[in-house]
Amino acid sequence: MAAPAIEFADVTKVYQRRFARVRVPALASVSFEVARGEVCAFLGPNGAGKTTGMSILMGFIYADQGRARVFGYRPGEVRAKERIGFLPENFAFYRYLNAEKLLQFHLRLSGRRVENPGALIAGLLAKVKLESYKGLKIGKYSRGMVQRLGIAQALLGDPELLVLDEPTSGLDPAGRKEVRDLILALKAEGKTIFLSSHILSEVEQICDRVIIIDRGRLVRAGALQQMLAEGNRVEIIVDQLPEDLEQAVKEQGASVERDLNRVRIAADPAQKRALAEMLWARGCDVISLTPMKSSLEEMFLKLVGGGGAE
Amino acid sequence: MKVRTIALSTFGSFLRNKVILLFCSLFACIVLLMMSPLLAYKAMTDASNAQQMQGFILNEVAGLMSLVSGFGSLLAAWAAADSMAGEMKSGTILAVMARPLRRWEFLAGKYLGVLLLMAVYVVAMLGVTFLLAWLGGQRFHTSLWTLLVYPMVRYAIWAAIAMFLVTLLHPVFVIGIVGILATLVQMSGSPRSGIPVWIRAPLHFALPLTGLLSEERFLVITRASLKPYPWTNHLTALAYGLDYALVWFLLAALVFQYRNLARD
Repeated sequence: MAAPAIEFADVTKVYQRRFARVRVPALASVSFEVARGEVCAFLGPNGAGKTTGMSILMGFIYADQGRARVFGYRPGEVRAKERIGFLPENFAFYRYLNAEKLLQFHLRLSGRRVENPGALIAGLLAKVKLESYKGLKIGKYSRGMVQRLGIAQALLGDPELLVLDEPTSGLDPAGRKEVRDLILALKAEGKTIFLSSHILSEVEQICDRVIIIDRGRLVRAGALQQMLAEGNRVEIIVDQLPEDLEQAVKEQGASVERDLNRVRIAADPAQKRALAEMLWARGCDVISLTPMKSSLEEMFLKLVGGGGAE
Repeated sequence: MKVRTIALSTFGSFLRNKVILLFCSLFACIVLLMMSPLLAYKAMTDASNAQQMQGFILNEVAGLMSLVSGFGSLLAAWAAADSMAGEMKSGTILAVMARPLRRWEFLAGKYLGVLLLMAVYVVAMLGVTFLLAWLGGQRFHTSLWTLLVYPMVRYAIWAAIAMFLVTLLHPVFVIGIVGILATLVQMSGSPRSGIPVWIRAPLHFALPLTGLLSEERFLVITRASLKPYPWTNHLTALAYGLDYALVWFLLAALVFQYRNLARD
């Protein structure tokens, strides 16, 4: 069986300040896998350990404990890196180069042999809509243009796995949509994509799987649709709800919220029929019964408590 | 191929490095300033003071060679330290090291880029030295290669030491330490330095013997003639220098292999 694209098993990383005894745990026994062909989001509040995880994955830093593998190889190994395209958070570049020269430099480093490098680079620049700026020094680019260029350099080696740290950061809504479409197109080509993002609505649109960490610990990992389905609720609105009935409704696992002239009951979809019949039977007028889909953002906030790491 | 790509990119970045350009401009000004007394000596030379004036001119050229050597060592150390630290501080190293590139290959590319810069420096300074000597009416009677290879090996040593230090320390500290080491090299080699022999002896052993690698050994500047040295002497001296540089480069590669590449 082919090795998964990414494998983390009990990966732990603690930062220690030089000449100081301060130890900052960044990752604590984090384990997960990303299968080939998946689009997987690596989520967490600021300081949760996402960038540390990605840095370990890329071989920039070493885990103190545990095992990390990329296509079965140790992170940082040339055989692993040959198959990865990486977009760092705040992509940094040689300001004195133009886009074409920068991509030529990265193409030479990628070791990819192409018959017509010029055509490949022109195609990539067109893909990220930078073809008309290819001669301009990158130092004069806007943040969004730099981000697009970063995406182009990540795609340069025709990688099997794309590791994207905040790929839509700095982009306007149109640019974000283009990146989303690009990711979906790459997914259709069978590429594996591992990305981090704070824009959860986008993640919801493009990802198959989600891994959530908080304060260095794995909070939740799984298929996105399955996770969202677990959080789905049904909302029943009634005109009135006697107090004894409210108690009975709550016993069914539902929550009750009273407005001025109506009552909202949120319950598990499996309970909707039983609840509705009970309410009708006790003379309550059911005004509406609406299925409520849970969002990734709600789930995320519920899991991480809405706060960043210390 | 990948090492060459990094080396050429590093060399290209030096040509745009404002600090290096500023120092090189200042150094060029100093060299130009040195030309005026030289031309004055030459203008004042007549039959009665020819020997005295020749002495002044040769001292001037010898002074320039020492200056070139000292500045070159600092330039090599600064270039090595700055190019590594700059990549890590700006984060450009992340996109580069995400490529299928081994860490030692990146370091070797950086090191070769520094050596390329120093090669240009050596050739340029040799040209200036020859020009000054020619303006003063003197000629160097020595083989060119000693004047090219010996300083290169010396600079290779300082660049390797700086490359090792910058994997651990801020580049400003690196330059400070290199300056201290260069001073210690001078002091440890001289019995009149006032340093007790039990300190001087291990220092003399541990620090690079740049005196051994000085092209001035083969040049009697006051007579501008070449001392006869057998080729084995050159071979052992250069092998010593290259070996010393290699040890520091390998130490740098070892430390770099295990260091975090995240932004400093």
